[in-house]
Amino acid sequence: MLSIALVGAGTMGRMHAGNFNQIDGCRVTKVHDALEQAARTAAADLGAEAVSDPESALADVDIVIVACPTPAHADYCCMAAQAGKHVFCEKPLARTLEQGERIVKAVDEAGVSMVVGHVLRFFPEYAAATAEIQSGAIGKAGMVRTSRINTLPGGPGSWFRDYELSGGVTLDMVIHDFDWLLWTFGKATTVYSRSLHRHMPDLDYSLTSVRFAEGAIAHVEGSWADVGAFRTSFEIAGSNGLIEHNSTENATLVVQRRGSQDGLAATQVPSSPSKSPYLLEAEAFIEAVTNSTEPPVTVRDAFAALELALAACRSAETGEIVRFGGDADAG
Amino acid sequence: MPVRIGMISFAHMHAASYAACVQSNPNALLTGISDDDSERGKQMAEAYECEYFGSVDALLEADIDAVIICTENALHRDATLRAAAAGKHVMCEKPISISVEDAQAMINACADAGVGLMTAFPCRYGPAYIEARRLVQQGQVGDILAMKGTNRGRNPGGWFVEPQFSGGGATIDHTVHITDLMRDITGDEVASVYCEMDRFFNPQLRCDDAGLITMDFTGGAIATLDCSWSRPPHYPTWGDATLAVVGTEGNLWIDLFSEKLHVYQNDASGYSWAGYGANLDDGLVDAFCDAVATGAPMPITGRDGLKAMEVALAAYQSAALGEAVTLPL
Repeated sequence: MLSIALVGAGTMGRMHAGNFNQIDGCRVTKVHDALEQAARTAAADLGAEAVSDPESALADVDIVIVACPTPAHADYCCMAAQAGKHVFCEKPLARTLEQGERIVKAVDEAGVSMVVGHVLRFFPEYAAATAEIQSGAIGKAGMVRTSRINTLPGGPGSWFRDYELSGGVTLDMVIHDFDWLLWTFGKATTVYSRSLHRHMPDLDYSLTSVRFAEGAIAHVEGSWADVGAFRTSFEIAGSNGLIEHNSTENATLVVQRRGSQDGLAATQVPSSPSKSPYLLEAEAFIEAVTNSTEPPVTVRDAFAALELALAACRSAETGEIVRFGGDADAG
Repeated sequence: MPVRIGMISFAHMHAASYAACVQSNPNALLTGISDDDSERGKQMAEAYECEYFGSVDALLEADIDAVIICTENALHRDATLRAAAAGKHVMCEKPISISVEDAQAMINACADAGVGLMTAFPCRYGPAYIEARRLVQQGQVGDILAMKGTNRGRNPGGWFVEPQFSGGGATIDHTVHITDLMRDITGDEVASVYCEMDRFFNPQLRCDDAGLITMDFTGGAIATLDCSWSRPPHYPTWGDATLAVVGTEGNLWIDLFSEKLHVYQNDASGYSWAGYGANLDDGLVDAFCDAVATGAPMPITGRDGLKAMEVALAAYQSAALGEAVTLPL
């Protein structure tokens, strides 16, 4: 039996914990949240114990889920790794490169397994697109476009709406696309971005231009300025063809209920009609832990996505081009 | 008394549509066509039931009020200067030319001759754009903060891929329509341009076929524009023209060619879209003919053409330098 502690009992943390509870041989036993009431409520739902002291939450578990606000990821990830625990951390890896480096170092030194929630790799449409591209179906990839459109997450006063804490739409949400782009098209060389982060906490929106070492150009759109349902789209134009996908066109099941006024959750969690990508991600992590194999999204992958997202943030903040040289100069 | 229109060259395929629009306008008359390619010119004159003239000057000596110029981009200047000298109003296909100097010469020549110079930006006459612009002016989306445009297409081939005639490739071809809408809907100018550009889809080309432009506007809005010829030969339609706007009070999207039937055929042509939206060229040609008839100022000016083209030229500079370029050039 693998016992699991959840640190951070918000929307994503509770969802991840619920998924781990569905996996044979896994049980969430401890829940910690800076808000004790949130910890108690989540613990009751998960059949776990609410613990007010994070260190004691980690003490007698095998795995720690870190799903607290981004700026606290580094402390909890390092604490968990140093205690010899395997770590599942929600994206983004950290708020700053320095924090990200600390996590990479702690995980390397402890020799624990760590996965970061770059779940696009488990969304069937993104995985299928990557497979099509790698099979040569459209030749060499050229012009790539991704869109990730959402309402402003959290409520008034939420840490999501504080750019200093969340990094805005670019770090918090568009990092999903950055990870998929790096996974599919290789290293980035040049980033030029514009965003509306100065308009937070009212809204955020970013448009990022990325050039990849192997030649592809990507246009990466992220919105926290929308008022409709969450949606994504992408296209890849290659030397021998084009792939398009739009999440609004592929529902296999639509349910409407007359007379219901269901409110949206504080953070909208997109779902795939087949097996949850978040559950697939959790299963892949448990498999890596159990078999001591390389996890599917390594802490270094997550660090690379963090570098790219922070480069976009910096470009948007300064108006300047950010170039990735031979050494890590994008901090 | 209808407005009498002459057409100079059918090198750009939009000429056929403009000719049909003139024909269907009850207040306009298509008088004649001149074309360097005499075979093409004679064919078109027959198709559109008007006279073929063996030279531009012969056409300009005829009894016409205005000309529509659809030569190769690099030849817009010469045709416009001749028309202005002959006292004819001009509607010139986009991009207005291939250099700021040429465009300025065209603007000056028409101003000096007291004739109008209109740039052919039909997207301004899309019903969705007209309504969007009205909503923006009413304040329905508040202040415009960000814009995302696409004007993607197939590689048109021919002189479009010969820079001495076209001035470049996809970027000179497909930057100006949406840039013009962005300028028009914000009322602001482009302040800086950054462009990633490449040749992705046909290694034999001598010009770019992919461009991604990032712009800052003088009023503070941010914007991107994809001007790539990234639609494959068997894509169900020629391309698109879209503009998404994020404002302080709301958002709107314009997809000028979204009205379509999905058509599946049993032969090799396979799957295609059959558009049923408004013909934007009708609004464009009618507006030109109205301005000629009434002597009113052209609704889209030569300067509009120049400012949109300047963004494309800046994109080429940016791509060559690997730096952002500040406007005006």
